[in-house]
Amino acid sequence: MNLESFQNRVLPVKNKLFRFALRFLGSEEEAKDVVQEVFIRVWNGREQMNEVQNWEAWCMRITKNLSLDRVRSLNRKQTHPMEETFDIRNEALTPHESTEIQESMQRINQLIEALPEKQRQVIHLRDVEGYSYNEICEILELDMNQVKVNLFRARNAVREKLIKINAYGL
Amino acid sequence: MRMDSKRIEELLNKYWNCETSLEEEQQLKEYFSGTHIPDQWKETAALFRYFEESKKKSLTDSSFDGRVMKNVHKPEGKMRKLVINSLRIAAGVAVLVAATWFVRKEIRQSTPQAVVDTYDDPQLAFEETKKALQMISKSFGAAEQQAKKINLFNEAQEEIQKKNKDEVNL
Repeated sequence: MNLESFQNRVLPVKNKLFRFALRFLGSEEEAKDVVQEVFIRVWNGREQMNEVQNWEAWCMRITKNLSLDRVRSLNRKQTHPMEETFDIRNEALTPHESTEIQESMQRINQLIEALPEKQRQVIHLRDVEGYSYNEICEILELDMNQVKVNLFRARNAVREKLIKINAYGL
Repeated sequence: MRMDSKRIEELLNKYWNCETSLEEEQQLKEYFSGTHIPDQWKETAALFRYFEESKKKSLTDSSFDGRVMKNVHKPEGKMRKLVINSLRIAAGVAVLVAATWFVRKEIRQSTPQAVVDTYDDPQLAFEETKKALQMISKSFGAAEQQAKKINLFNEAQEEIQKKNKDEVNL
């Protein structure tokens, strides 16, 4: 792989890698550092890339591993709570509706952040990024059964909490 | 695209059971991003909207690409290469020297010291050899005297055989 194809093909996946790293780290700065490191590793290992069937999944896997390393070293120092803001712009909504949506999104974000690590990874890869089950297996180095179990648990944990919120307005 | 609530209900059930395909999940996302969502699905809609919104998050740092490319494009300096190659050769030589030293030590230990040549001066070596040969010669001398006694037996045996022959001829 030459520099040009690296720039045109590999670099554009940066946002996917960034969002994935952000799931682990909660800090944009840390996530950015991880993504940069991922690209350097990918470039240094570019010879291997020809043997890799799905290089995007390969990049995601490196992102996961580097993010986990960093989470471990950060945990010794401090933890970053994830602060997300969502910019909802929809002409059809009144300001009141906008605020309401904004609030429910924050709540959902907290629900997902509270999930166990594997469930959080699987639901992110499937429902946010739209990866196939096979790709998720490759990225997370899990077998199909584990991926499906984790996704099932994640979706249903979120669903149960949403039902509670709906019923009690919590 | 308008979908009736029955179809949505059906898709949602499949979704919670992790039986939807990526296309069907996309249909749900599209449906819930629209307006006029029935109240019963308000929170579910928020969940799907959350997935869609999360996907919009991107690495906004405009200098990021440039930084990655600069890091990636850093060619290894000629000096660096030279130093690395010299170190490689030096390491190889060191291994060879160490191996030779050990093998030599091993051979020396397993060879009896008597076999090892101990004289530098030819004159001295000659004298020592002479001494050793004289010692052997002296021992041979002693052995010869003992061997003469055995001759007596031979002579006696011959005498008896002669007598036996004479008796037969008679």
